Amino acid sequence: MQRTAPLAPYALVMPGFLLAAFIVLWPLYQLGVISTSEVNRFGQLRGFAGLENYVAVFTDPDFIGALWRTLIWTFGIVFGALAVSFPVAMILHEDFYGRGVARVIVMLPWAVSITMTAIVWRWALNGESGMLNSGLKNLNIIDTNIQWLAQAATAFPVQIMIGILVTVPFTVTIFLGGLSSISGDLYEAARLEGSSPLQTFRKITFPLMRPFVNIAVVLNTIYVFNSFPIIWATTQGGPANSTDILVTYLYKLGFRFGKLGEASALSLMMFALLLAFTILYVYLASREVRE
Amino acid sequence: MSAKLKRTVIAWAVLSPLVVVTLFPFAVMLITALKPPTEVLTPNWVPSRLAWENFVSMWSATNFGPALWNSIYVGVLSTAIAIAVSIPFAYALNRFDFGAKGFLRQFLLVTQMLSPIVLVIGLFRIAAALGLIDNVNSVVLVYGAFNIAFTVWMLQSYFATIPRDLEEAAWLEGASHASALVRVFLPLAVPAITVTAIFSFIQAWNEFVIALTMLRRQESYTLPIQIFSLVAGRYTVEWHHVMAASLVATIPVAIIFAWLQRYLVRGLGVGAVK
Repeated sequence: MQRTAPLAPYALVMPGFLLAAFIVLWPLYQLGVISTSEVNRFGQLRGFAGLENYVAVFTDPDFIGALWRTLIWTFGIVFGALAVSFPVAMILHEDFYGRGVARVIVMLPWAVSITMTAIVWRWALNGESGMLNSGLKNLNIIDTNIQWLAQAATAFPVQIMIGILVTVPFTVTIFLGGLSSISGDLYEAARLEGSSPLQTFRKITFPLMRPFVNIAVVLNTIYVFNSFPIIWATTQGGPANSTDILVTYLYKLGFRFGKLGEASALSLMMFALLLAFTILYVYLASREVRE
Repeated sequence: MSAKLKRTVIAWAVLSPLVVVTLFPFAVMLITALKPPTEVLTPNWVPSRLAWENFVSMWSATNFGPALWNSIYVGVLSTAIAIAVSIPFAYALNRFDFGAKGFLRQFLLVTQMLSPIVLVIGLFRIAAALGLIDNVNSVVLVYGAFNIAFTVWMLQSYFATIPRDLEEAAWLEGASHASALVRVFLPLAVPAITVTAIFSFIQAWNEFVIALTMLRRQESYTLPIQIFSLVAGRYTVEWHHVMAASLVATIPVAIIFAWLQRYLVRGLGVGAVK
């Protein structure tokens, strides 16, 4: 360790720290000011408004709908991805023919931008010319075209499915890291003791994978809660706001309806929620490091 | 049947639904991009011929060139900014012992998790105050600053693997700290810096919300916004052009990403949480 110049590290850190702090703190300050002001639709501040904007957000039925849908969205994708990723990771951890190819295919969605994935799905889900309908018809699963994105009852579940698909690669990666950290000796010992595969899973694999599951759940919750492109590029929250989640509702509030005050209030509330989750993640991550 | 063969059958059987659903959008993208324009609206799986000329007509029909240039400009410049300030930052975190270290690590972890979307209104106002709306430089600034947390984190986890002995040997031979840094440390850090820079570039390449907010005129669109603008709010969409453009915008970056993915996992330490 160098101890010659006590201020040297601060000088090295400063430009990066200032820039990274500026891009977070200055917008936060702006949001604080706007959210407690009366704002016209051109963004001019018209005096102090107290908590009016916050109240306005909570009394908007579209907000309640979006909030509710955000819960379903986040919960559905995080646990859907978990349910798919755990067995997939266990299989990919085994030795079988074509494992390299299988890994590449499973990881593929991670390599493509989510916006592009969503645009391709938008086309594949097209009611008249989409290849999903034609594929399902060829397989005799459906006999009339389904207008997937024209109604919330099909659009939202399909969007959640796309969300699960793009979340699986990251989750599988975490789990593969976890599985490879479990010592082979433990399995060897279990086998010698005559443990059945199910017992081995319950007594060894699952408990040792717990920290990785926790990390995956918290990180995915943060990512999914903030995920904007899937919904925006497929339906833009439509038809009639029926697939809006908080982030798309926030965007409409701010940049379509020109309600900047309410949008800022919502931003700050979401920021606070996100911060709480991030602190939970930092806590979990540092606890795992210590153990 | 050998044990491995049996495992193989079971493994592929269990994986097959996921494999089909994963490959389906890629098949749709590729097939549509290669369909003759007259067949695009008929959802058949095999085009009558492969219409490679779609890629040529797409170039001007989708304004691909300028958007490609904007994406490259934004990706390169924002990455240069982030890397330039992150190298000294990561070096200090790694080679010095100082009071604020713990705080800085937590600060990085937290900012890395923050999504720009909750700050987008504030960011828009900064850009407006600086007169940078509709200007790709606004996006450069935001991406550069937001990527710092990620680049510092990646760099410092790799810097930790570069042995100190070499720098210490250079000091003993009379080199100053600065010249030891430039002559000994940085050459060893080039691979780490390259990999980190590529990921920073890919993030900028793929970003959507900030670009959608800041860039309102076609001249300033980056590729994701340009392609999205061909789809959203239009009565007729030239899907063969859109898919050809998506393919060209996606595939080179996807290949590089797939190739370097293991470094991302290792650098972020997610695979190493023990």
